[in-house]
Amino acid sequence: MLKTTRRKVLKGAAALATTAALPKGAYAQGEPIKIGILTPLTGAGGNDGPRMLKAMTAVFEEVNKQGGVLGRKIETVVEDDQTNPEAAVRAARKLIEVNKVPMILGTWASAVTAAVAPVCWESKTFLMTVSGADSITLLPHQGFLIRTQPTSKLQATAHGEFLWAQGGRKVAIIGIQAPFAMANKEHLEATLKPKGGEIVSHIIYEKDKPTYRSEIDQMMRGKPDYIYTNGYAPDTVVLLRDMFRAGINLPKFAQSYAVPQPTLDTIPAEVSANVFTGQPSADIESPAYKLAAARIGEKEPDGYVSQATDWASLAVLTIAKAKAVSGVAMKDNVRKICQGSGQKVYSAVEGLKVLAEGKEINYEGASGPCDFTDIGDILGCRFRYMHVVKGKLEFLKLV
Amino acid sequence: MEHYLVAMGVTAGIYAMMALGMNVIWGMAGLINLGLVGFFAIGAYTSGLLTLKLGWPIPLGILAGMAAASVSGVLVAMITVRLRGDYLAIVTLGFAETMRVVMSNELWIANGTDGLSGIPGPFRQALGPHLFNLQFLGIVVAVTVILFFLVERLVHSPFGRVLRGIRDDEQIVAVAGKNVVMFKVKAFAFGTAALGLAGALYGHFTSFIAPDLFAPLLTLYVKLSLLAGGLGNSIGAVVGAVLVVFFLESTRFIIPWVPGISAVQGAALRELLIAIALLVVLRFYARGLVPERIAQPQLPSTPAQASLVIGKST
Amino acid sequence: MEVLQLIVNGLMAGTILAVPAIGLTAIFAVLRFTNFALASHMTIGAFAGFVANVTFGLPAVASLAFAFLIAGLVGVISDELVLKPFRRSGFITTAIGSIALTIALENLVRFIFGNQLRGYDLPIQRDWSFSGIRVSPQQVENFVVAVIVMAMLFAFLAFTRTGKSMRAVADNPMLAAIKGINANVVARLVSFVAMGLAGLGGMLIGLDTTIDPLIGFKTILQIFAAAVVGGLGSIPGAVVGALVVGVGEELSLLVLSPAYRTAVGFIAILIVLTFRPRGILGQRAY
Repeated sequence: MLKTTRRKVLKGAAALATTAALPKGAYAQGEPIKIGILTPLTGAGGNDGPRMLKAMTAVFEEVNKQGGVLGRKIETVVEDDQTNPEAAVRAARKLIEVNKVPMILGTWASAVTAAVAPVCWESKTFLMTVSGADSITLLPHQGFLIRTQPTSKLQATAHGEFLWAQGGRKVAIIGIQAPFAMANKEHLEATLKPKGGEIVSHIIYEKDKPTYRSEIDQMMRGKPDYIYTNGYAPDTVVLLRDMFRAGINLPKFAQSYAVPQPTLDTIPAEVSANVFTGQPSADIESPAYKLAAARIGEKEPDGYVSQATDWASLAVLTIAKAKAVSGVAMKDNVRKICQGSGQKVYSAVEGLKVLAEGKEINYEGASGPCDFTDIGDILGCRFRYMHVVKGKLEFLKLV
Repeated sequence: MEHYLVAMGVTAGIYAMMALGMNVIWGMAGLINLGLVGFFAIGAYTSGLLTLKLGWPIPLGILAGMAAASVSGVLVAMITVRLRGDYLAIVTLGFAETMRVVMSNELWIANGTDGLSGIPGPFRQALGPHLFNLQFLGIVVAVTVILFFLVERLVHSPFGRVLRGIRDDEQIVAVAGKNVVMFKVKAFAFGTAALGLAGALYGHFTSFIAPDLFAPLLTLYVKLSLLAGGLGNSIGAVVGAVLVVFFLESTRFIIPWVPGISAVQGAALRELLIAIALLVVLRFYARGLVPERIAQPQLPSTPAQASLVIGKST
Repeated sequence: MEVLQLIVNGLMAGTILAVPAIGLTAIFAVLRFTNFALASHMTIGAFAGFVANVTFGLPAVASLAFAFLIAGLVGVISDELVLKPFRRSGFITTAIGSIALTIALENLVRFIFGNQLRGYDLPIQRDWSFSGIRVSPQQVENFVVAVIVMAMLFAFLAFTRTGKSMRAVADNPMLAAIKGINANVVARLVSFVAMGLAGLGGMLIGLDTTIDPLIGFKTILQIFAAAVVGGLGSIPGAVVGALVVGVGEELSLLVLSPAYRTAVGFIAILIVLTFRPRGILGQRAY
């Protein structure tokens, strides 16, 4: 259960406005800055949304504790996207038209993001998302959208290199029916083929099934030596259980968000043996990931948590840089604080201090360097790989 | 706030069109169609693809969407015409789910789960978002009013009387020499055309459709609209649709005032409140907020009466 | 060989579906409506089992009994308070009302337990292999539990006075009323048993997967399909229907991508209903 609530954030922020902000003087009394959070709290994404919300709230709380931004505290307005595009559009309209939020953070399902995006760009509201479909950033969003999730090409190429380095020569792909399924296969194949590896089977399964025994049998017919899973937590757990039962001891790769530590804690350790996870990451010397981990009190946060941390940090720093709160200001200024030759900063609070000194900054996030292309995709990132040992995620390497 | 109300008005209008369409199939003919999102999807995809890929004018695309939905409605009705009650329910539900699965998997039709983006809306660029929504509200209200009067005429026509006869006792109608099958198919044809119309308009309004949109949740909202308003009644269908959208949206504003709960608990509480509000309406207005005005003869041996007997006997 | 394995897998999957499908069909037989609230009662059972197993540390069988009991009790209460008054307004209103009820109950569970995935604290075993055909001990256990429960239900309906009166109400409510059978008592009893079975089924599915508030919602369509294929109102029908749906979905993998499972399931239903409009074993019109 989440410990931080909207209300607690509000209370905390209100207390701060009267105490911590006092020495800052006259300009600390402005109206709070409202930031919209639209993330799945019910429906298929309900397992992931709350984790992202917690990570964002933690950053905003930290910023509010230091006096907020532009002398104003941050107030979040949270709506549930119900993991449903129709419901999400209604919620987004409420955030934009009633709460007048300049930005919306946190959409998860690709269909939800694609549905909400037009509402956002038409009303000049900025959108930050984790959705994986390559088509998202190709929408005519006029710059009002950035995505921290690497593209299929970036991810699958890196994963392919990892599988090869791990000794994967005959790779089987078993993934959920999702927009990124086909693109991932192509890029994985393009990476492995020139080296002499191959994709020996490719299974796309339906979500919400209580067992995938037959799918796994089908996959094994290709006689793979490495299994690449590509799904979400509920179905990945079923896959892992069924693979264990079938006596498959091969190494298995999974997205970090499909087997985050809280989910690993619910399954027997032998089931998650030989599982490797990958997530986008910044340089090894970047403390942003450790800071994010400390902020939410988890040892190895997954890719969604680190990306949510970065949205909140980017939001705060862009507002500070632009000295304005609007979707247009976000669009025009976000790249001024996260890329370029400014001083590297690793958290919102640190960035605010450096900005206050009148210096340029370059935010390096928990999920990567956070440098964006014109269409809002990340330029590149490192990948952090982990190994599940006795049911616990252990750091393996950073590539 | 007013812009938000306008957008929600459009949503309510689209729900109302679906409820009116369902009123013919379900409220009047008594055929349980749990696959209404399937026909909604056919309308949305047909019009979306024709206007986007082939550059058809929007009104023509919408008409084509209605026609496609109606044709598939006729097909489904012909296949299922021997089925009754819950059996029809599962087949129509299966139809909608199959539609969703096919649209998700067959990337060549409309990009699979990526969905169809950039569906044109009338004068979207020229008007800007607020005026566009206002204009669309006008369109939706006008279309709903036209549909409303069409359904009303149908209700009071000999056709409508036969349909209600089928709903209340199919055998009597058959004995009276009416071709029951033909009437059922016609009811499906008309009702699914309205569902296709709603789908097409939704696509042109939001500019994006995807298989995920056509989840059973939407079916439920429309069913509840119809029941809450009063089954078999056109005013009820519209009132119910507005009421459901009101419940869906107003609950957002209540939750932040509940102290000491997490965001997930807030979301759960919101859905709980919506469900309870609907249950209360259904419970205390058993025939809907606006009951059907046409006098109903009491006929034995329908399932409704069978359970009534259980109730009375104790 | 492959076909044989698929059939075994399908039978395993089907048996678990059969348990809640019996509940659905039993309610239909006696109360004459499709109770979609079955979904949330499966969720409640799964979570009740979780509390028994993880919080109180009870073994699997005791936890299953607890899941049955709690889901059954919630079933009686929710039927009495919410659904019973609807039955006067007809079976469609009651069925739709039951969907609203299931949303309410699912969110009550979400309010209390949250969304995060959970799992039972039970060991997992490797499959047994019989000349190349793999069978999971866990699923055999589930199979045995399901068969025992079904046998008990049959015995109850066939040999006890209460069971006989339940069947009487199902067969002819008017005649049963004349004979002085208290329909209210029968309604409560059938709600208890049926929703208990739903809860049991929910926990059985949870043993193989993960537990979250959507566990019932994810499977309700398959269960509904199983009950309809077998013939709504027929308990042996529910079992046959569940096995047909289970095996049918698996066999479809021979010709189609696994991404089409659900669609194939529904097409199978359509085929069955084309030849037998009232399901395989169904005798009633409704």
